[in-house]
Amino acid sequence: MVRILAALGIGALLAVGASVAVVNVASPVPTPANQPLYNYGTR
Amino acid sequence: MVAAVGGERAWRLAPAFLGLGLAVLALGPALGWGFVLRYDLLFVPDPPLLPDTGGFPRAVPSDFVVALLSRVVPAEVVQKAFLVGIFVLAASGAAALVPPERRLARLVAAAFYAWNIYLAQRLMLGQWALLLGVAGLPWAVRATALPWPRLALALLPAAIGGFQAMLVSALTLLPIAALRSGTRVAPAEGGSRGASVLGVAGGAVTSPRGVFAVVGVLGVFSLPWLVPALASGAVTDPAGVDAFAARADGPFGVLGSLLSLGGIWTAEAGLPGQGEWWAATVRLLIVVVGVFGYARLRVGGDRPGWWRGLAVAAGAGFCVAGFGALAPGPLKWLIGLWPGFGPLRDGQVYLAPLVLLTAVGLGSVLRSGIPAVVGVLAPVLVLPTFAVGAFGRLAAVEYPREWREVQRIVNADPAPGALLSLPWGAHRAFAWNGGRVVLDPATKLFDRRVIWDDTLLVGLPDGGRLRVRGEDPLNRRAGDLLGRPDFAARLDVRYVLTVGTENRFPSGLTGWTTVFEGPDLVLLRR
Repeated sequence: MVRILAALGIGALLAVGASVAVVNVASPVPTPANQPLYNYGTR
Repeated sequence: MVAAVGGERAWRLAPAFLGLGLAVLALGPALGWGFVLRYDLLFVPDPPLLPDTGGFPRAVPSDFVVALLSRVVPAEVVQKAFLVGIFVLAASGAAALVPPERRLARLVAAAFYAWNIYLAQRLMLGQWALLLGVAGLPWAVRATALPWPRLALALLPAAIGGFQAMLVSALTLLPIAALRSGTRVAPAEGGSRGASVLGVAGGAVTSPRGVFAVVGVLGVFSLPWLVPALASGAVTDPAGVDAFAARADGPFGVLGSLLSLGGIWTAEAGLPGQGEWWAATVRLLIVVVGVFGYARLRVGGDRPGWWRGLAVAAGAGFCVAGFGALAPGPLKWLIGLWPGFGPLRDGQVYLAPLVLLTAVGLGSVLRSGIPAVVGVLAPVLVLPTFAVGAFGRLAAVEYPREWREVQRIVNADPAPGALLSLPWGAHRAFAWNGGRVVLDPATKLFDRRVIWDDTLLVGLPDGGRLRVRGEDPLNRRAGDLLGRPDFAARLDVRYVLTVGTENRFPSGLTGWTTVFEGPDLVLLRR
């Protein structure tokens, strides 16, 4: 019973965290600046 | 009885369907008609079968297989099949390493192996060929206890993927073959059907034949890229160690990031929100739980024959992953000594066996009931921004018609001579591709030699740029000659393709004719 309650609690916490993350990503962000040369990546 | 058999079959196929569902969730808009173009994820329409390429054979034989399949179905479909296949193969393979009677535990392992930050970051960098091998890894682990034709079949995805996929497979399979217990033995006493398939048994020693089979299949499947690599004269810039070493992508530093299965060298491959403390903490905890579960298998009666080998492979992979970040000097020295050490510079790749170990370990801890259900959902909840094409980072687009037109003109010309691609830089960010950065498509569109700048530019946190010199000697020479009026003759260039308005090829030069001019592309012929 304790394991089940713990699992449900962890699941609920993860769901809240995931919701916050998705809302943050869905918020509008400024358009990135146009660059003449493009890096393979940035460290 | 029929219902029971049907139910059994449904449970057996459930991991594959879970992988399919995760693929749809992760790829989302990328599954529409068109090509997904991002960094190394470069597919082109009607790719040439055997293009004349130079430098290190990074896309061998993956590009050949894609070109071959594209003769049968459109390249757009081929790309989608590979991308979806990665998820399905990964999920079903990880599940196959968990005893079949633990139905939910199989799904826990499947979900984690198909939805984790390692896979997500590598996909954001477009390394589908590597991921093909990573996805097939659990099947290959399982097949180390089976006759060599089965091992060869299991290693086929890695063989298609090429050098990185094969190196990751070798790192994983060689320790397993060398340290296997219970190899090729009858099912364990009282064991189930799954136990026999998994090689669960104790007491038997390593079989030399098993080791030879693994070495042999790995060796033969590596020949398509190994032979051209040794003959290419490709060079490796030791500066790549600084560029491609693992980096901290969360609050726990480089080692913490690697232990969380992240730590890829580029920030652009990160997922939104991955660095948040709560997400990073949960990712780390999940790996700790997975490793704990895997360690617990050691004393259980159902320890698989590959248990010790996979543990050694995961430990070795972790050390290699941290090598470039923690000891760059010795690694640079090694690469300077022999370019063959070049694949070690992006060491984070070798975390793959640790990812698999974690997946199996999670399946061992979360075996049934509500905890297992939470375990199936947890990977997605911890990394929710991988969904819907990582919120726009992956999407399907169509090449503008001018690209097809230029391809048709150049490939229909029987006259010899190379094509020079300008502007002189490896990567492009087209408006029609949503500004996503991708390798220059010209590098794969034509069946003649393409001269391009394979120098890799890597941005630094202070705003500077690190230049990793290209690997192809001809491209290097071209870079040195470009400013000279006689460069075309010296390099045997027949075509010049320029994109956009930057670094336009000087017009009006004697001997050059414009054979195509579109909104973005200009093609000149000599």
